[in-house]
Amino acid sequence: MRTASRLLWVLSGFAFALGTLYWFLTYETTGTVLLWMLALMPLIVATWIWRRGLVSAQLTEDDPEADPGAHPGQVIGSFPLDSAWPIFAVLGVITAGASLVYGLILLPPGLALLAYAIYGLMRESRQ
Amino acid sequence: MSTTVEQPPAAEAPMEPERHGPVAWLTTTDHKKIGIMYCVTAFAFFLVGGALADMIRTELAEPGRQVVSTQTYNTLFTIHGTVMIFLFVAPFGAGLANYLIPLQIGAPDMAFPRLNALSYWFFVGGGALVLLSSFASAGGGAAMGWTAYTPLSEARMSPGVGPDLWILGIALVAIATLLTGVNILTTVFLLRAPGMTMWRLPIFTWNMVVTALLGLVAFPPAVAAFALLLVDRRLGGHAFDPLGGGDPVIYQHLFWFLGHPEVYILILPVFGVVTEIIPVFSRKPLFGYAGFVLATLAIGALSTGVWAHHMFTTGAVDNPFFSAMTLLIAVPTGVKFFNWIGSMWQGKIRMAVPMLFAVGFMANFLIGGVTGVMLASPPIDFQVADSYFLVAHFHYTMMGGAVFGIFAAIYFWHPKMTGRMLSERLGRLVFALLFVGFNLTFWPQFVVGMRGMPRRIVDYATGLGFDTPNLVSTIGAGVLTLGVLVFLFDVWHARRHPVLAGDDPWGGYSLEWATTSPPPERNFAALPKIRSERPAFDLHHPDVKP
Repeated sequence: MRTASRLLWVLSGFAFALGTLYWFLTYETTGTVLLWMLALMPLIVATWIWRRGLVSAQLTEDDPEADPGAHPGQVIGSFPLDSAWPIFAVLGVITAGASLVYGLILLPPGLALLAYAIYGLMRESRQ
Repeated sequence: MSTTVEQPPAAEAPMEPERHGPVAWLTTTDHKKIGIMYCVTAFAFFLVGGALADMIRTELAEPGRQVVSTQTYNTLFTIHGTVMIFLFVAPFGAGLANYLIPLQIGAPDMAFPRLNALSYWFFVGGGALVLLSSFASAGGGAAMGWTAYTPLSEARMSPGVGPDLWILGIALVAIATLLTGVNILTTVFLLRAPGMTMWRLPIFTWNMVVTALLGLVAFPPAVAAFALLLVDRRLGGHAFDPLGGGDPVIYQHLFWFLGHPEVYILILPVFGVVTEIIPVFSRKPLFGYAGFVLATLAIGALSTGVWAHHMFTTGAVDNPFFSAMTLLIAVPTGVKFFNWIGSMWQGKIRMAVPMLFAVGFMANFLIGGVTGVMLASPPIDFQVADSYFLVAHFHYTMMGGAVFGIFAAIYFWHPKMTGRMLSERLGRLVFALLFVGFNLTFWPQFVVGMRGMPRRIVDYATGLGFDTPNLVSTIGAGVLTLGVLVFLFDVWHARRHPVLAGDDPWGGYSLEWATTSPPPERNFAALPKIRSERPAFDLHHPDVKP
């Protein structure tokens, strides 16, 4: 994760430096806040990687000599084959969002559909 | 249902049988099917956006009113811009990323397959709302331009539900982009095959990493702006309405903080596509791999500091700062051109259709880029702001650049996705029609722009030097349309009369060319040892030292 981590630190540092430079050149608030917030977002992820000790973790993908055939049977992860819940989740969000345009009567069914889809996704992901 | 995936052994292993049928496609979480659905849906939006553009060009073919009313014309260019930017070019890049990234890094799928399906359906839902916002909405469609500047987009200037649906639609597309960004970064950081170090990633994947990062940092402010705009319109807020003490310039800041990185969100995937194609058809390794990656990172970083060059004429921003940052970004872009030319230099170049489109992309994008450098200079920008010069510049980067890159990608990876070749002869015809049609359409727009024709007008007076260039431009749009129709025929022909592609028809370099065409459900029956950034080439040429 060393390269990925560095990428996030560099992006954060660049945005912070740019935001600071921008502030002293312009004294314009909106752009400065945007740039400093931009610095904060990768910083959160980079700090998490650092605190979990993943920066120096020896991952096979970071080893240039690693052989994919050397560890057959090593578990990569669990991947679902299909799921209908994302469709229901999006329908729920659209219905709830449309309540802002067409009236609040659409809000309860939209939120109910969304909650049902989230529950379905959670149950499915535990299987 | 989930399946646990293990590292494939070096020897071939039997794969699970694939499921077919419409339900299998609609509920799929397989990255390849989602990638193809993204690409097909985005291309359908391209056809819609193209049809709207043809109506615009028909209206402008000659002075006087031909086809549509002023209000309809405003809706036409609003939806055309929105569809092409948010529903075609960007999602097509996301589709390619979905399809290719796990294959290129040796992963069985994206890191979060359900999230992947969720982002696709958010994109479809958002796209449907945007289309609905145009003509199928009571009280008037969205007609405030794809930038939705305030106060024009406030309720008192743009009444009706059209703009509200437009805002909701774009917000959903933004959520889709954010989810895709998270998925791409997690996949690339955590699911690479053993030996696939970050500095061996294919350039397309690298470019998608930067694109995903840009999406993650640039979209939230715009979503906030759209949310505040909706509050203004529906809940009586005054965030951007000057009559209520709001500040429309803040909207412009928030919008362009997305809007300009968005240009790179659109073009970086295409840079990646072209960089995959040029070395393969030049029979050489990529010239300057590390330099190319660093240039991409530099473009990504610098693109976050150029947003207000779209606001030079407001008088509310520091023009020298944004001018300097914009000129600076031309440097890493120039590095990329050197990389491409260096990769072709003294190579055994095969001018197959993907390579034709890649070279066409370079020619068109160069013109778009150079005129962009011109526009980075405030005195020139003041002169041509809101004129057709801007329209021409933008289309040379987005249509001549991004769309030509997308066609290059389709001709390059269609054999991998379907196992079938597209016709080389028809492909050359498509390229000729698109290249000639594109330049006929948009070069005259530089001319009328310099002569002072403003954009976003439904009519123009005769005798100002606008007539002939506009007519030529409309003829060019007709040629472009013909090119797209021939392409659709080519795809249909490939389905009806398949010419089998084989696993690696081009002699490709990256890992997707080391599996079958189309690939099986979890991508690889066996992963080769990854010795360089060209693992498929190494596999097929074990005698050549990496």
